[in-house]
Amino acid sequence: MTRGIWDRETVALLLLAAAMPLAVTWLLATGMQGALRLVFVLIAAGLWHLAFMLARAQPPSFAGALTAFAVAVLAPAELGLLPMLIGISFGVVAGELAFGGWGRNVVNPATVAIAFLGFGFPAAPWPVLPIQLGWAAIAMAAIGMLVGVMAWRIAVSATAVLVIAWYGGMLAMPFLTAAAVVLVLLVCDPVTSAATDLGRWLNGLLYAALVMVFASGWQGAAAVQVAISAALLTSLAAPLLDEIAMRRWLARRKHLG
Amino acid sequence: MPKALAMPASADIRVHITDQCALFARPSDDFRADILVAAGDKVAQGAPVLRSRRHPDLTLVAPVAGEVAAADLGPGKRLSHILFFHEAKAGRHEHDVSAARAENDPVAVRALLLSAGMWPLFRSRPFGRVPLPAEQPAAIFVMALDTRPDAPLPQLALAGRLDAFLRGCQALASLTNGPVYVCHDGAADLDDLDVGNDRIRLTRIGPFHPHGLAGLQIAARFPAAPGRPVWDVHAEDVVGLGSFLETGLVPETRLVSVSGGALREHRLVRCQPGADLRALTFDIVKPGPHRLLSGSSLDGVEGRWLGPWRRQVAAIAGTGTERSPHWFSAALRRSSRPLPIIPTAALDHAFGGILPAALLVRALAANDSETAMRLGALSLVEEDVALADYITAAAPHLTAMLRAMLDRIAAEEIA
Repeated sequence: MTRGIWDRETVALLLLAAAMPLAVTWLLATGMQGALRLVFVLIAAGLWHLAFMLARAQPPSFAGALTAFAVAVLAPAELGLLPMLIGISFGVVAGELAFGGWGRNVVNPATVAIAFLGFGFPAAPWPVLPIQLGWAAIAMAAIGMLVGVMAWRIAVSATAVLVIAWYGGMLAMPFLTAAAVVLVLLVCDPVTSAATDLGRWLNGLLYAALVMVFASGWQGAAAVQVAISAALLTSLAAPLLDEIAMRRWLARRKHLG
Repeated sequence: MPKALAMPASADIRVHITDQCALFARPSDDFRADILVAAGDKVAQGAPVLRSRRHPDLTLVAPVAGEVAAADLGPGKRLSHILFFHEAKAGRHEHDVSAARAENDPVAVRALLLSAGMWPLFRSRPFGRVPLPAEQPAAIFVMALDTRPDAPLPQLALAGRLDAFLRGCQALASLTNGPVYVCHDGAADLDDLDVGNDRIRLTRIGPFHPHGLAGLQIAARFPAAPGRPVWDVHAEDVVGLGSFLETGLVPETRLVSVSGGALREHRLVRCQPGADLRALTFDIVKPGPHRLLSGSSLDGVEGRWLGPWRRQVAAIAGTGTERSPHWFSAALRRSSRPLPIIPTAALDHAFGGILPAALLVRALAANDSETAMRLGALSLVEEDVALADYITAAAPHLTAMLRAMLDRIAAEEIA
């Protein structure tokens, strides 16, 4: 018997490849400072992967690099090394490695790390994403959907609602940019998002709805903070959305016996 | 990249009865049988050679005219294999079909199919086994399409034999009180067939793999469950059934495609059931080690003989034993089994959008039989998850996990 290619590492590498436009745009916008930050996060996350490989025989995954990139882009700025290290460690260990590595985690480790840093150090300012990142996010989504590692239903439903809200003046541009970047980096993660057709539609809709609720009702919240909070709640709700989809699927098949 | 080899035109199909062939069973089949012939006996094609000890009605017949070369029963009279040498002059055995033909009596048809070795052409789900002799199927699926890579086109087997096909369908309808679905992709001219029986439903389905798998169609249209068995049978076997009910002669050959990366050319042959895979491939195989699979390159199993329900032979280059990896990476890989399966569009396509792929695969890997049953696993057998298995390179194999789960559910059903 011959074997196919869609194992965990292929998906991780394709996600990384899809993230390249975003990474290049972000590095161009932030320059040396951003590169150093990315290297630091990569090393910190990589060390934990190494530790879990040696201590618990968990094979490291290229998805760790994607996590590190998301943390570097979205985590609060001007934190200092130690808080940053604590936040990354918490996210990577408690969000991913403790569950057995990428593919078995229930929440995205980057979401956990960023939320932990944001709420643990409320004085640190959230990053302001340059507007071109929003365009790069479109490129990432296009590549990811084309090769099938991102669910197009999530991206399309969330984008549709967000763009309509922006067009109707209910969402400011910084919020739209942050929501788009978080959508492609965190919400569309194939492991922690819903895995059924209906669940994926609901997943995208829920994320967009939460972004709109937070953006309009949360006084003083930064754009990235709003998007991260929405992403965290959405990924927690993903199993529920799958359950709803499964119930509906079973109900529709009832007449088959 | 080697160029994909095309299947030859239908005119090139030749009959190739291999010199050796075998009736065999795997140890896991636990098929206990009485042998009705002895080594050295001359048998006619279609003559009874084995009787099941558990179900004495069920008889297996000689797949070829010739001599019984060896008859091998394992411990507890479990069938290992019976080997036949082909000798055309031993003739064909003619079964007495007058009772079944005269009244089209369901009881007589059933008894005839059991005694003439036609019964194992059916496959019963849940669990994917030869149906019990007394089993009353809730529905029967006739597969007049095969979407597996390099599969022989069923319309080649059906061409010019639609009357026998219709007779076979009528006989199937007499075996069940439920519907008989004839699944086709429009290529076999079945669209405007007048079947004259409203329980026989012509069902047109998509021409792309995996839509042509019986398991997915059963899951989509008539899910199987314990106490609600659903049978599937290939259209060519229905043709054989129809002609058998007319003439009393068990069909001699089945249409088989011989393909795979280790061959210089692909071919279609008509060979006997249980044919020798080496004899079918030896003259077209490329130099170097290769493995012969009974079945397609997706769902085939390595073996010497063409297995039951199989219509493909795949020759795969290589020895099948990969160079053992470094001990460190081997340890890492082993310790993380079952490997996580990431839901991608590829996985969704592997179930044709018919079943919720990610949830089903997750339930299989987690050995959660309750969820898997709700999601339609009882309608599936190994071949239905073979594509997902191939695509995701799952370890352990999804097919093995599904088989283990089905066996456990079956054991719980009996208890």
